[in-house]
Amino acid sequence: MKHLEHTRALVSQEVAAKLKGLGATFLLALIAGCSGGGADTVDNPVTALPPDTGYNGPPPATADVQAFKLNVWDNLSPSNRCGACHVVGGTGVGAFVRNDDINLAYEEANTIVDLTDPAESLMVTRVASGHNCWLGSNDACADIMTTWITNWAGDALGEGGRAIELEAPIITDVGNSRNFPVDSGLFASTVHPVLTQYCADCHSGSAQIPQTPYFADPDPDAAYEAARPKIDLNEPSNSRFVLRLRNEFHNCWSDCQANANEMQTQVEAFANQVPLTEIDPSLLVSKALTLYGGTAASGGNRFENSQIALWEFKTGQGTVAFDTSGVEPGINLTISGDDIEWFGGFGLNVKSGKAQGSTASSKKLHDMITSTGEYTVEAWVVPGNVNQEDVPIISYSAGNTARNFTLGQTLYQYDFFNRSSVTDGNGQPQTTTDANDEDLQATLQHVVATFDPVNGRTVYVNGVFTDDVDGLGGGTLNDWDDTFAFVIGNEVSGDRQWEGIFRLVAVHNRALTQEQITQNFDAGVGEKFFLLFSVADWVTSVPEPYVLFEVSQFDSYSYLFNEPHFISLDPTADTSGVPIQAMRIGVNGAESDVGQAYKNLDMTTDSLNNTDFGEPLSSLGTVVALEKGPELDEFFLTFEVIGSGTNVRTEPAPLIPPPPPDGDAVPAIGVRTFDEINATMSTVTGVSTQHPDVVTTYSLVRQQLPTIETIDGFSSSHQIAIAQMAIEYCNALVEDNGLRGSYFPGFNFTGTVAASFTPTGRDQLIDPLLDNVFGIGLTTQPDPVEAKTELNNLIDRLTACGGSCANDRTETVAKAVCSAAIGSAGMLVQ
Amino acid sequence: MPCNDLAKALRRKGLAVVAFLFVAVPTAFAGSLEQAKRIHDRIAGVPPSDAVLLQMAADIDNGDAIGAAFRAMDNANFYNITLKNFAAPWTNRAESVFVPLNDYIATVIGMVRDDVPFNTLLSADIVYVGNGGPAYSVANNNHYQTMEDNGTDLSTALTQTTQSSVNGLPSAATAGIMTTRGAAEAFFVAGTNRAMFRFTMLNHMCHDMEQVRDVTRAPDRIRQDVSRSPGGDSRIFLNNCVGCHSGMDALAGAFAFYNFDEETETFSYSPAAVDSKYFNNDANFAFGFRTGDDSWTNYWRQGPNSLLGWDPNLPGSGNGAKSLGQEMANSDAFAECQVTKVFRNMCFRDPTDTADRNQVAAMVASFQNSGYRMKQVFAEAATYCMGD
Repeated sequence: MKHLEHTRALVSQEVAAKLKGLGATFLLALIAGCSGGGADTVDNPVTALPPDTGYNGPPPATADVQAFKLNVWDNLSPSNRCGACHVVGGTGVGAFVRNDDINLAYEEANTIVDLTDPAESLMVTRVASGHNCWLGSNDACADIMTTWITNWAGDALGEGGRAIELEAPIITDVGNSRNFPVDSGLFASTVHPVLTQYCADCHSGSAQIPQTPYFADPDPDAAYEAARPKIDLNEPSNSRFVLRLRNEFHNCWSDCQANANEMQTQVEAFANQVPLTEIDPSLLVSKALTLYGGTAASGGNRFENSQIALWEFKTGQGTVAFDTSGVEPGINLTISGDDIEWFGGFGLNVKSGKAQGSTASSKKLHDMITSTGEYTVEAWVVPGNVNQEDVPIISYSAGNTARNFTLGQTLYQYDFFNRSSVTDGNGQPQTTTDANDEDLQATLQHVVATFDPVNGRTVYVNGVFTDDVDGLGGGTLNDWDDTFAFVIGNEVSGDRQWEGIFRLVAVHNRALTQEQITQNFDAGVGEKFFLLFSVADWVTSVPEPYVLFEVSQFDSYSYLFNEPHFISLDPTADTSGVPIQAMRIGVNGAESDVGQAYKNLDMTTDSLNNTDFGEPLSSLGTVVALEKGPELDEFFLTFEVIGSGTNVRTEPAPLIPPPPPDGDAVPAIGVRTFDEINATMSTVTGVSTQHPDVVTTYSLVRQQLPTIETIDGFSSSHQIAIAQMAIEYCNALVEDNGLRGSYFPGFNFTGTVAASFTPTGRDQLIDPLLDNVFGIGLTTQPDPVEAKTELNNLIDRLTACGGSCANDRTETVAKAVCSAAIGSAGMLVQ
Repeated sequence: MPCNDLAKALRRKGLAVVAFLFVAVPTAFAGSLEQAKRIHDRIAGVPPSDAVLLQMAADIDNGDAIGAAFRAMDNANFYNITLKNFAAPWTNRAESVFVPLNDYIATVIGMVRDDVPFNTLLSADIVYVGNGGPAYSVANNNHYQTMEDNGTDLSTALTQTTQSSVNGLPSAATAGIMTTRGAAEAFFVAGTNRAMFRFTMLNHMCHDMEQVRDVTRAPDRIRQDVSRSPGGDSRIFLNNCVGCHSGMDALAGAFAFYNFDEETETFSYSPAAVDSKYFNNDANFAFGFRTGDDSWTNYWRQGPNSLLGWDPNLPGSGNGAKSLGQEMANSDAFAECQVTKVFRNMCFRDPTDTADRNQVAAMVASFQNSGYRMKQVFAEAATYCMGD
């Protein structure tokens, strides 16, 4: 406890000193980790294997000196690190790793560390700048050293919160840029011809199946309006028209690269004729900032007391992802594969490949986890899709059949394998999140898999327990194999490819509690900055007025702008009474076309709403496209109303697209559809649609009958169904003595075919059918004379029995004639 | 009643032989008889009796083709077949016509029959029920299924009542066919209730989401479940997702209190309590819009979708499905959609040339200026396509 108190005292002194010297700097103390009351009892972490340092000097005088020794001195004193120079008589300035007296080394070290902000320690910044880093990445050395110093500072940061100093940025006016001319002439002579030649089959209002946006419309004005969001005049190669061809292979007309070049050439021809102009002078703009011109806000507040491995993927280049946990030995992952690359805003994008540690360094996991019997695998990941099945995301294994643990994916589910006394050597049966819950989504997720001997395996997604209970309970880890390797993105055997993005991976040798998981989820991932956009040009009633945004690189293609506040850096200022309307985000001299989540903002500030960051303007975040990269992209804000400035804009009415060209002529006639056929047959025969036989047959063939009137779609299967219906209706008609008597007056159904099918009898049978089916005197129906001839021919064929016709042959022939009539086009066509 | 041997044989193999003996040969010229026949065929789906045909022909000869069309609507099959199959595909996601009669379809039929202004289709406290059989229920479709099974004549059996009196919704929460059980079962089930908006747009404004995509609208109403970086690529969001969700999510907030429970098959409304489906996957983008009530706003009144012709006399925002239904059903797009659907139903084609488009424009004007009477639209379309 003395160590902790001492650290707190140090922090308090640092804060007090900074407060005194702040001047125009406004200090915000974030108390995110402060929960009040006494400290909870927590498990003692096993955070490092005890190194043999060979120290023989006097013992540490205080607990804080002991903490310095354990966390910093033991890690830096070896001769392959700082111990080669920074010792008594060494060539380095400051003997902070002297090995004769740890207390004197402690005094030296205190002059080059900043326990309130370890990352700003001289010890860290020197290494970060390339001073004798012992790894292949200066950033990785700096991160590890930051971790060691942070550990020395103990939980002071977590308990007391991290101080973020918002410093007034350098005032920079918004730069010049190319803006779209009002007239479409330049577009019409450069880009438009390419679009109309290659894209008009779809992206034109006159296309057969038009698809918006209509940037290839024959009308250049209409096309220009639709094309503008797809053209980047300041960076032609960044135009969507070009990227769609070059990177996304969208309907290339020959070779995608060549097509992209052709398109880019035309965009450049367009852009080169547009002069650089100052930003629209009518806009009410803030001052400008780049991402790195803001105040870094990332870091702290993660629960890392039991963290034994950490990969943040910050390097951004090379083939090694460093373990920056500071716990030796680092499991540095070697990146290999055909399609695996660094991801903007810290991360590793895996499409084909893996990142794997050595078995020797991976043994750290075995040793440190089996010593506690419990562990946690934590990750921020973006599954590439929800189609991949039975693939490992993070694995400590020997191949497809043997593993210590694996966090994997099956469609929308996370799988968690763990080798224990209650599972087999492959960690099976695994526990899996409920498929119906669809816990896994193809978006950035915080996933935590914990194991402990009591509860077994549990999975948390975005800080929430998935409610999937491990049916096997816990078990022991005695059977873990220390020859396995830690790997991400694939199995060590390389044949189970997972696709997705890693933003952070960590392993803890304790099962994190719900509170600790929530803490790490809330801490987020990636590098964040506070950007202060000066609005002093428009707000004169408040000293040092700014709009504050939390900004981060969201992925390789965009920035996240989050939770804007109105703030004055003068802590005594009253920020009330400032009207703010329609705030938009600008990038590189122009307002972004997409992502303007604050353009409906309409409020007047009131200091009563102030928080530590000033007054919230919105709780929303929005994503804005990345253009040139985080080093170069220059951001600014515009307003329609702010303070004394007003520039209310009215959106122009859209152009009315020209009418589409005339389509091909289509037949004026069609066919009856299923219910119509059924009802029509009922109408022309007098048989009810509810006749049992009709109902049975209709239910059988209903969906086989035509469903649309289009005559072009009529097929033989339709006719088969129609014939079945016709037979059923005619059967019902002829079998019903009363009905047939009134329908076919005079026809002898019981006579022989010779007696019944006399010329008169034939008329008595055929004429009522043709009258009912065709109607009378309609020139659009088949010629009744021709039809009657055909039906007579049918009768002739069916009665040619050679004197041996069955007794009921007359009825049968009558049904056939009836079916032929009512199943014909005379019934069907309308 | 068994068929005889020949009939059986015909069923087995001789059907085609006897079934397409006669091919109709339409002539270029059609007289009033032929015109009357076509009007009746298209409107009622069945041929007219001789008497009706002659009466209709006489109407046409007297210069009253519209009157002839209305005479065809006296045939019950206009309601039992034409209108029933006209509306059935609107009531399910597969857009299938082979679905049982339900309260959505019955209400459309009844509103057309009774000349209820069709621009109240998405907002009125109205439903049509039959007489007899199982009573109307929010828990099943038995009432309508029985009518269908019995071959009930819908032209006479349906009577108008208020939804609120049969389904328990407050009158203010009713929104025409959108709050029928049939629609709820199809579009408020599971998911996020965006389906109700999408299919209402598709069926009653004739625009699917692809056609109203506009990436330049404010994304401040896009919910938290929409990933801003699907699969780690925010370009997908910025170039595609945002185009529909910015407008759609702002409008679909109107349905925040509705749900259809799959297990109980019951349609429910929970006033002042946003259904939990609005918070599905809310960690996908925690900084997105979190629905707090049933408010909606129409961002598509600006930009290219302003061409949908929103009613300038309406505020363009509100709370609940009823006011959203008014917003949609009083747009020009709604009227054009209804007219175009009827045109397609009567003429067997989409408007293809200038003459067709002018006809549709005239019918839209007539529809909007004459009380949104759908029978008039059917009559005008049928006579336009009755042949020369």
